Amino acid sequence: MIKKRKIPDAEIPTASQADLAFLLLLFFLVSTVIDVDTGLGLTLPEYVPPDQQVEVKVDPSRMAAVLVNENGEVLVDNNIEPVFRIKDILKPRIESKINLPLNKKMIVSLKTDRKTVYNVYIAALDQIKQAFFEVRDEYSNGKFGRKFNDLNQEQQEDVKNAVPIIISLAEPELIKK
Amino acid sequence: MTFEKRRAKTKQEIPTTSMPDIVFMLLMFFMCVTTMREVDVLVQFKLPEAKAIEKIENKRLVSYIWVGKDKRIQINDSLIDLGKVEEIMYGKKKTLPELIVSLRSDQNVDMGLITDIQQALRKAYCLRINYSAMIKV
Repeated sequence: MIKKRKIPDAEIPTASQADLAFLLLLFFLVSTVIDVDTGLGLTLPEYVPPDQQVEVKVDPSRMAAVLVNENGEVLVDNNIEPVFRIKDILKPRIESKINLPLNKKMIVSLKTDRKTVYNVYIAALDQIKQAFFEVRDEYSNGKFGRKFNDLNQEQQEDVKNAVPIIISLAEPELIKK
Repeated sequence: MTFEKRRAKTKQEIPTTSMPDIVFMLLMFFMCVTTMREVDVLVQFKLPEAKAIEKIENKRLVSYIWVGKDKRIQINDSLIDLGKVEEIMYGKKKTLPELIVSLRSDQNVDMGLITDIQQALRKAYCLRINYSAMIKV
């Protein structure tokens, strides 16, 4: 009589699979980064050699000169101002030029000394950008009833044309000795 | 009279058969949302704070320049001289025309150094830059 041989169950042990997966997960957690890059964006002007530079006369009414010296003191159009006031000074001036054509919009020029601390420069640039952003928000609120970031692309272009962010970085001067 | 302890007849186990699946799902999620850490930062820096902050949407376009407390400059995986910035960045710009340069610089660096780096970037036609900063609350 032939006995039917009992076939042993063919199973892969899965008890440790969870542990393995956790190990993989941990590896990915450690070796990757999630943080989103945040910062102040800016477009630099193209480099022009000093002997080919052409001076362009700009109507002084559309210029605002922000100067930061080595002690962190700020000069806005030749008046000494604290850093946090820059925004309030620039805002009404930007607003007054919303309805003018592009070649008459506000230009903000930012100039620093070589010994100025980076932190103060960023604070000043931040104030200038905030002024532009707030004017944009108010303009889009008045026209579309929404903030700039919630607009669709077409509307954003419209606001961008009305309030372009023009920040001019002054050409660095030769080092004085 | 004997008292019988009442016990629930149901099993008191948490089913663990689907745990690996859940963990794998988590793993997939992390693999999708994160990017690999590419370089070791060799300089020490503390970023400045700002309010009018923008996010960089596309991380693959970003190339970093680190400037440490001690004014050392790092690009990619190595510390470099100021004079080499232009050459390296020009090479990067050629391979990736939409390059955004993120400047991760310490708070207390002099503007002189930053200006020099900016001039080098301008010569290398890397005109889109981003001053990395933390959100001020």
